[in-house]
Amino acid sequence: MVDHILRLKLALLGSAFRGAASAVRALLVLVLAGGVGAALILLAREVQVDRADHRAALIIVASAIALGIVVAPLSAGLGSALEPRRFAAFPVPRGQLALGLMLAGVIGIPGALAVTLGIAFEIAWADTDKAGLAILAGVIGAIVLVMVSQYLVAVTAQLAVSSAAVRMITAAARLTIALALGAAAMAVLLVQSGDDTEGLIEVASVVAATPLGFLWAAPGGVDAEIAWRLFGGAVAVAALVAAWPWVVSRIVEAPQRIRSAPAIRGLGWFDLVPATASAAIAARSLLYWTRDARYRAVIIALPVAPALMMVALALAGAPVPLLWLIPVPVFALFLGWFSHNDVAYDHSAMWMHVAAPLRGFSDRWGRVVPPLLIGTPLILLASPLAALWSEVPDVYPAVVGTGLGLLLTGLGVSSVSSALTPYPAARPGAGPWDQPPLIGAAAGWVQSFTLLAILAFMSPSLTLAVMGLLDEDPEMLELAGWAGGATGFGMLVLGILIGGFVFRRRAPELLGLLMRT
Amino acid sequence: MKQAKPATRRTGKPEVTAPGAKKPAGVAPGAKKAAPSTAKAPRAARSPRAKPEPPPVVVEVTSLRKTYGSTVAVDDIDLTVRRGSMFGVVGPNGAGKTTTLSMITGLLRPDSGTVLVAGSDVWRDPIAAKRVTGVLPDRMRLFDRLTGAQLLYYCGMLHGLDRSTASSRTEDLGVALGIEGSLNRPVRDYSIGMVKKISLAAAMIHSPRVLVLDEPFESVDPVSTSQAIDLLQRYTASGGTVLLSSHNMALVERVCDSVAVIVDGSVLAVGTLDEVRGKQSLEERFVELAGGRVAVEGLEWLTTFSD
Repeated sequence: MVDHILRLKLALLGSAFRGAASAVRALLVLVLAGGVGAALILLAREVQVDRADHRAALIIVASAIALGIVVAPLSAGLGSALEPRRFAAFPVPRGQLALGLMLAGVIGIPGALAVTLGIAFEIAWADTDKAGLAILAGVIGAIVLVMVSQYLVAVTAQLAVSSAAVRMITAAARLTIALALGAAAMAVLLVQSGDDTEGLIEVASVVAATPLGFLWAAPGGVDAEIAWRLFGGAVAVAALVAAWPWVVSRIVEAPQRIRSAPAIRGLGWFDLVPATASAAIAARSLLYWTRDARYRAVIIALPVAPALMMVALALAGAPVPLLWLIPVPVFALFLGWFSHNDVAYDHSAMWMHVAAPLRGFSDRWGRVVPPLLIGTPLILLASPLAALWSEVPDVYPAVVGTGLGLLLTGLGVSSVSSALTPYPAARPGAGPWDQPPLIGAAAGWVQSFTLLAILAFMSPSLTLAVMGLLDEDPEMLELAGWAGGATGFGMLVLGILIGGFVFRRRAPELLGLLMRT
Repeated sequence: MKQAKPATRRTGKPEVTAPGAKKPAGVAPGAKKAAPSTAKAPRAARSPRAKPEPPPVVVEVTSLRKTYGSTVAVDDIDLTVRRGSMFGVVGPNGAGKTTTLSMITGLLRPDSGTVLVAGSDVWRDPIAAKRVTGVLPDRMRLFDRLTGAQLLYYCGMLHGLDRSTASSRTEDLGVALGIEGSLNRPVRDYSIGMVKKISLAAAMIHSPRVLVLDEPFESVDPVSTSQAIDLLQRYTASGGTVLLSSHNMALVERVCDSVAVIVDGSVLAVGTLDEVRGKQSLEERFVELAGGRVAVEGLEWLTTFSD
């Protein structure tokens, strides 16, 4: 049985070369892996383990490559991953299945790289009095890598319930590999240039404390530490080996991957809001914001944009305290702007709103509630901190005022635009990064126009705020805050009224547009 | 709203549900195939039963028309549905049934024509008309992250019910349609048949005067279909009106009292079930109206087996 699984694995590997496109891809992967392997061996011969910075680089490189190897099987897309559940339908004895899968893990590029890494590690320590210990550490390390990667494949295959999820996992694995290779290359370059060896050693000591670098740091330590690290590695191998058959049989015997969601008692959000149409729409919208991957991705991505801007500006040499004025307004701007295509996310389920005797106002107002609930508290909480850290005196009113103003103005503009100019969005149930079949040029225009409209409406307040900052004029800053708040409130009310009117008038056309996507 | 339209024969509504088979005068160049001339004869001559007082008209469709480019999807259709009636719209694929029903429910704007539901013009006074209409559209999504109970409650709220009414009706409908055990599961986990049932419940929760159901029994099992039909019959017996479309002639024959046959966007026959089908079964009459069986030619190779 075991040899069947191994033969299957070989056949799968061979199949990568069938067809021109996939053969080219497989070849590229092979070249990349071969390059990494060769580089490992060559570098290992250069390493002088008596130098602290070389030892540090060795730990970092080995740990980074190890991380890459562990996630490597996931980067191929799980399509033909040998994972336990695939054998659930066959009468394979569990023990043999576990053994076969484990051995199959060694065959293939990740397995080969794991072995290469172990060998390279041993070469690095050869000709020293710790060569024997290094061999032990290398062997244990390679085994741990192969096993952990098998566990990872088995567990991830359980999680990969949809093709969108598989794509996400694949992308994450590839990103991890790229980062790992980058980190390894960086360590090598740093040690060659001889700059900042202090930093390198510091990083290495941190990595050595994690499971990732635990073994690779073993030969570099003093006696007790070596013993402790090698013992830890051995225990890990033993635990991984012992638990594997159990994990395999668990997965095989409980093959259903989608467990039906636990029955929900009561009506959730609907029980908490008043019994009106707008409140029900708000509750439904809130439920989608919290449960739907398309909305959740945005909630996760929103804080990233300001953070990236801050990092970029800081690298460009902007004074850091001042950069703390960025996050609140940027976050508010994008949160308000995100709703500009909200209707498209309903897809044809929007018919319920069209077929009901619903005021346009109710629809618009309901959709605005979730971003308001998410944004307002965050802005109110973050503004004092941002104002404090920016070290600009009296800036607080301007931060909170422009923040709220941008959010509310954004929601007002979105209320109109999502009724007036929706464009195709990812379908319900799709992954957050799935694109609709056709987007068209309109999407780009709508996106930029709505963003510009928000900024244009807020420009008086923003101008006042900037002027106040430059002149260090507290009165101007306070005025900017009030202006922002007032603009936001006005624009929100106006947006909901106009948006509601447009929605009521155009509801059938909207529905037709959404159905065509 | 007023647009140039081909001469409509009848604008005033006759007493009975009897607009005769109307000839699509010189239209439908893009239509798939010309309606056969044999089908133009008025429906079987059965004198309308002399009832003293026919029930009032609840849905009145006049010269409803919808074109997509040069294709005429719905060609000046007139329909009259009376209170308490179970009215079936039948027709081949692509005949314009869904288009017609969508225009009646306010989901699709007609090019011209009027729709009155319980006296309110769907396209002039949509709020009033939609308050009394229950809709089950075909092939449209639901907010499927909601549980069945949440969806029904949501629908109730959109129609202005209060909390306790929405909740108690949710329970009642769940029991009546046999989905009470699934109401706490997300709708996305439902099978297609269950989605139809929850959609039917959603259409009924605000106790509308008129139900407009597009293919309500497609992919619903026989047991559930009977349950749903019982529910609908109780509804019509108490004064509700149902307008439904279906491919299933046997089912239409069983449950509907009036039928309209729509082919290529025109009503070819309309009236009570007996008036339309005459001596034949509805299916035979329908095939005859819809163009008859086309003799299959040119597939001789299909009758000589390759081995």
